[in-house]
Amino acid sequence: MFKKSLSLTTSYILVVVSVLILIGGLSSCKSKKKLAKEKVAAEYTARVQQAKKDLTAILNNTSPWPLKQQIKRVEVIKSYNIADPEVKGLITKAEEKLKSEQAVAARKAAEEKLRQAEARKQMSEQARFEHLNSIFKQIANAQSYADADDKINKALEIFATPEIPVLIIIAQSEGFNDYDRPTTIKKFLNYIKDMKSYDYRVDSIKKDVHGKITELELIKK
Amino acid sequence: MKNLGIYILFLFGFLITEPVLAQQHLSPARKQAIDSLAMEKVRDLSKYITIIGSKNTPWSEANRVIDRAEELFMPGSQMGVSSLAKPKVTYYSVRKYFERLMRLNYSKVEIEWYKINYVSDLQRQPDGTYVGVITIFQKFKGYDKEGRLIYEDTTKKDITVFVKRKQAQIGGRLIGFWDVLLGDVRVKETSR
Repeated sequence: MFKKSLSLTTSYILVVVSVLILIGGLSSCKSKKKLAKEKVAAEYTARVQQAKKDLTAILNNTSPWPLKQQIKRVEVIKSYNIADPEVKGLITKAEEKLKSEQAVAARKAAEEKLRQAEARKQMSEQARFEHLNSIFKQIANAQSYADADDKINKALEIFATPEIPVLIIIAQSEGFNDYDRPTTIKKFLNYIKDMKSYDYRVDSIKKDVHGKITELELIKK
Repeated sequence: MKNLGIYILFLFGFLITEPVLAQQHLSPARKQAIDSLAMEKVRDLSKYITIIGSKNTPWSEANRVIDRAEELFMPGSQMGVSSLAKPKVTYYSVRKYFERLMRLNYSKVEIEWYKINYVSDLQRQPDGTYVGVITIFQKFKGYDKEGRLIYEDTTKKDITVFVKRKQAQIGGRLIGFWDVLLGDVRVKETSR
């Protein structure tokens, strides 16, 4: 009888313990889920706060990142699909701002490229005309009339005739070349002899089939 | 074909109107360019006068320079000449002035122009010509054969400048250019 009673008590205890364990287990699982949920919520809040901070910095030009990195950051923030209306508004504004900055940067880059190409072209043309510029400088710096005349006569040999036209550009703007009164090479060479200075650079030349210069265009420095 | 006709008509119209447009809508940069050009012509004249007056200039060179200097002026322009001895200013044609300058009765002549400035800016006239006045100060020194300074004076002169847009056919191209011509050179005052 006693043995049977003990067995029943043991069983009862086992059941109670099992129930308690089960209840405890369920409660622990529920707590873990809650923690995880809270963690996700905290992470989301932190992400939203960081996104707002970064987007505001981009809009206020206080971001330390270069343009490319800013664009990448906005793309990453956009990929979070944050539902916050403030973040959405900031993303739209930042995208517009960066798009405009990108267009300005692209234009500046194109202009710089063009400027460099122009500078290279000018340098190459200047190198091409350096000999001619040097001849003119020598005439301007001649020590006497005889020396200058000797240099002029030698210089005239590279021109088709002493009467070939010389055009002098005095200004370039609005797509216009403003010229001085056209002259001839003979008069121009005597002019630089008289003025004792050569304040020009050769801009372009035309040659005939014999390689003699038939037209000279100069730019006033 | 119709488009080609319109294009030719447009081009023809542009070639006719370009000089007019160039005058009427002159930007400050282009105006500055013609201001400088006119000023440069006066400086060129100053250099030519020094060369012509110098007794070191060979006769043939002086004559060549007279031709160049004369080209700077409008036909019929006159140059005023003054001296401390005669209060009356005498006006000569520029050619005659240069020829007299070349033959001045001194063993050595020094002529220097300085303070070359616009006294009246270039102003556009109804016919499109820009007219202005540039003032200069001329220091003249004449020496005898012993190298002694026997005459010197300083003269303030006003030079009228005319700048006109013109065109010339160069190598098959129609080139629009600014033609600067100097007018009368008037003596304003002479002092020691």
